Amino acid sequence: MENRDKIVSLEHIFKTYYAGGNPVPVLKDVNLSVGRGEFLGILGTSGSGKSTMLNILGMLDVPTSGIYQLEEVQVDLLTDSELATIRNRKIGFIFQGFNLFPHLTIEQNVEIPMLYGRVDRATRRQRAHELIERVGLGHRFGHRPNQLSGGECQRVAIARALSNYPAFLLADEPTGNLDEKTGLEIMKLFHELNDSGVTIIMVTHNPDLDEHFDQIVHLRDGRIVHQEYRKK
Amino acid sequence: MMLATDALRLSMHNILLHKVRSILTSLGIIFGVGSVIAMLAVSEGAKRAALGQIEAMGIDKIIVYSQKPPPNSVDSQTSRSIQYAESYGLTQADYHNLMKMDNIARITILRNVRKNVLKGLDRLDVKLVAVTPSFLRDSGSQIEMGRWLSVPDMINKQPVCVIGTEARRKLFELGQTDIVGSMLKVDTETYRIVGILNNDMGTQYPELGTPGNMIFIPLTLSDALFGSFTINKESAVPVVTQIDYDVFIISVAKLEYIDNTANRVTQYFRTSHSKVKDWDLIIPLDLLKQREATQNIFTIVMSSIAGISLIVGGIGIMNIMLASVYERRKEIGTRRALGAQKGDILFQFLIETVFLTSMGGILGILLGVGISKVITFYANMPTYYSPISIIAALLISSFVGVLFGTYPAWKAAQQNPIDVLRSN
Repeated sequence: MENRDKIVSLEHIFKTYYAGGNPVPVLKDVNLSVGRGEFLGILGTSGSGKSTMLNILGMLDVPTSGIYQLEEVQVDLLTDSELATIRNRKIGFIFQGFNLFPHLTIEQNVEIPMLYGRVDRATRRQRAHELIERVGLGHRFGHRPNQLSGGECQRVAIARALSNYPAFLLADEPTGNLDEKTGLEIMKLFHELNDSGVTIIMVTHNPDLDEHFDQIVHLRDGRIVHQEYRKK
Repeated sequence: MMLATDALRLSMHNILLHKVRSILTSLGIIFGVGSVIAMLAVSEGAKRAALGQIEAMGIDKIIVYSQKPPPNSVDSQTSRSIQYAESYGLTQADYHNLMKMDNIARITILRNVRKNVLKGLDRLDVKLVAVTPSFLRDSGSQIEMGRWLSVPDMINKQPVCVIGTEARRKLFELGQTDIVGSMLKVDTETYRIVGILNNDMGTQYPELGTPGNMIFIPLTLSDALFGSFTINKESAVPVVTQIDYDVFIISVAKLEYIDNTANRVTQYFRTSHSKVKDWDLIIPLDLLKQREATQNIFTIVMSSIAGISLIVGGIGIMNIMLASVYERRKEIGTRRALGAQKGDILFQFLIETVFLTSMGGILGILLGVGISKVITFYANMPTYYSPISIIAALLISSFVGVLFGTYPAWKAAQQNPIDVLRSN
């Protein structure tokens, strides 16, 4: 376990918000690491601090104290612009509500992160095509999100998240807006990706997903109350 | 850059998504640009018409004319003014002295013979004017039919005349064809009509009006028949008026020295007509410059007023864009999460505002052109839109977009992605 190739490590992470001058501690001494190719599930009910956890992991927010290291980079030392660059290159966001852009075709949606990464046009095109094929939507080229089902939209979002070869996928309740059957299909896709070496961090409140993860972290009241590694 | 294409496509999508709102938003710009275009078209049209009239007098000309002196300024002791006889204006001596000056190429003389032109018993508003042959060219007129007064007519004091097109309309029936060659009786004398003169430039001479309204006879003939005296029999006591000439059209040899020449002419009259001011002078080139200057001021004032409506329109757009930033927090957050820099977001919103105002600008131009067409049609005012004003309107409307789009775009870029992602 200890000779894992760690790509994410959180050490003594605290996060405190201030509401009307009163400190509200949200994360209290969180320690966590994720190895390359792992599938981590962060479980917690609402109010457990998992959204904050997600924001910090996704570099949309910085911890009050503690060290977050992504690969070789220590995140708390970065500027807003550098954080945006890291989000772009290293993190593949997947949202509960898919967050696709309705005015764009699915290929164009997949191209967006590459656009912000200033990838050239030909490469963008080619990569978007490959990724859409990979998530099983080869028959949907040229369609717009409103012509797709929820499951298909989430597949597009996954393709988009993969487009800049990120260090890990960060999925926020990705099956939350889907029916059970479609949700399972999406989980199956995550497993396929994970099997091919993609690192995945998934934040969810749904205990039923428990069985899918290699490592599980239970958050309650801002602390890790249970942590478990499993053999692949 | 694909970011620009993406931003444009997004702008288009958002505008089509909220068609009514977009149009309402752009209304200020549409009307602002429309009024600028219409205003400029009207003022430019007016300017061109006015300048055309001034130009018709000839920009290489200095026009000197006789002016009846104000009544009380005349000392009754002087020989040139007695109660029942008055004498004023340009004289033969003036003509000879002016001809000696440098840079004066020629002088065309006009003399109002002051005879009543009648048709039956009706007195017509037509003037019998004695001229030298260079009048045709110096007034920018053309011969429509027949011929102009010739040098032999002048030398031989031929009893011939040329009538202006307006005079012809007043004297003869419409469609009468045998006018040239026919005889015309004015007062006691009869003249053979040799030609019809047309002046389509709208030239106007002080005290005399437009050439179209005149009957022209050779100056030498007038001198021989009437001398320089006229008797006004219509007043209670007959008044004898002695005026040699009414108008000199002075042509300068070199246009670049016209100011200097005009100064010398002015100086000459100030000294030689020092007792009473019985003359005045017009330099069309100066009028042209003055007119252009006032017109430019007018244009600036009008444009400023129109500019205010553009500002109001811009504020409206800013308002809507701020609302749109709030509405689209989720989209902004998503983009930031996917790696958009603040600058990318700023650029996107700025493009969108500029796109909106530019569309408004294009519609405004169409509206402005439409308004000026309507003005031309119903108010019969000339309008003219220069390509420059249209390009300027486009640039200005884009500029309004940049000006009023910057703050909302900045606001969009400052959105905290956490807040906005939470809001789904």
